[in-house]
Amino acid sequence: MEIIGNDNRIRALFSEVRVADVQAAPGFTSVWRRAAARSLQPRQSFSFSLAVVTVLAALTLGSLAVWSIYQQGSHVRHDAFAELKAAGKLFTPQITAAVNDRTSRSDQNPVRRQVRSRANRSFTRNELLVAKKNDAKAATIDSWQSPTAALLTSPADGLFKSLPQLNENANELKSFLPARANEKEK
Amino acid sequence: MKVDRMEIADLKVELERLHPASFGWALNCCHRDPVEAEEVLQTVYLKILEGKARYRGESSLKTWLFAVIRKTAASEYRRRLLRSLRLVAEPDRITDRLAPHESPTTTVERSEVQTHFQDAFKSLPKRQSEALHLVFYEDLSLREAADVMGVSLGSARQHYERGKKKLRESLERMEMGYGNNWQRQQNPSAV
Repeated sequence: MEIIGNDNRIRALFSEVRVADVQAAPGFTSVWRRAAARSLQPRQSFSFSLAVVTVLAALTLGSLAVWSIYQQGSHVRHDAFAELKAAGKLFTPQITAAVNDRTSRSDQNPVRRQVRSRANRSFTRNELLVAKKNDAKAATIDSWQSPTAALLTSPADGLFKSLPQLNENANELKSFLPARANEKEK
Repeated sequence: MKVDRMEIADLKVELERLHPASFGWALNCCHRDPVEAEEVLQTVYLKILEGKARYRGESSLKTWLFAVIRKTAASEYRRRLLRSLRLVAEPDRITDRLAPHESPTTTVERSEVQTHFQDAFKSLPKRQSEALHLVFYEDLSLREAADVMGVSLGSARQHYERGKKKLRESLERMEMGYGNNWQRQQNPSAV
């Protein structure tokens, strides 16, 4: 039996296998009938993999729903602050004091403190800082002075603001003139 | 044979004609396991009956059928893996319902050459063995083999050439071994 040769050698070996396979092949009719019978059978009602996928999907949806509710609560708190700000435009010292008081009370009683998200806590802190800044501005605006006001004052302000009397003598009137002008006259 | 959509009755006649070749191809796709091959073939016929696999005349019926068999065998293999992980319910095995028939490998007069050939063929990469099987066993052209394998013609040719080369080398090595043995038998004193 010559092994080394062209493709015919390999083809011959394959044909030997094919002959054996054809002899061992199941009848077409039997395979076809079984397939037809399977097509008439009702489908399997329960599938373990389908059940696992369904449970996973339900868990995911549930956790998403809880998360969305939690997020909604933090947004409501945010809106309350916005309304308060819109109503008063600025935080008055009383409101700031009330907020500070409430914050300090809640800090003193940690058992009753509500669990808040980090974003919500940082938002409250920022609001308080803004309110304190606004209060400081309101306190300093009453005592505000222009930086150029000192340039408008002079030692003769009293003379300019008062009028000379008509029955005064000339010497007294000279006192209004500058000292150098008096020397030239001398 | 190119038609838009064949009636089941017509298709059945053609499938019956192609059945031996289909079984051979299914055997190749199932690592020469006749039980698995029959199960795959049954699933393919079921797909055709239920309309999940439809022949639209885009290629020859044989090419289309072989591609369906190949894909079904791959999905059945994945399903078997899932079954081993107990994720899919185990259906009734065909072996329980069938009269046991002789394995093709036992039916062949397994000469040493044939045995060695089959061992060498099994050791080839899957793509190469598919290309060789489709060309030599099923008498398909390389273009048709590429269609069945779902690869380009160039890729199919490369798989075919490489597989053929490996198979030849393996057979050559075997013959050299036979030659040495024969020489030793003829002249035991020779080293």
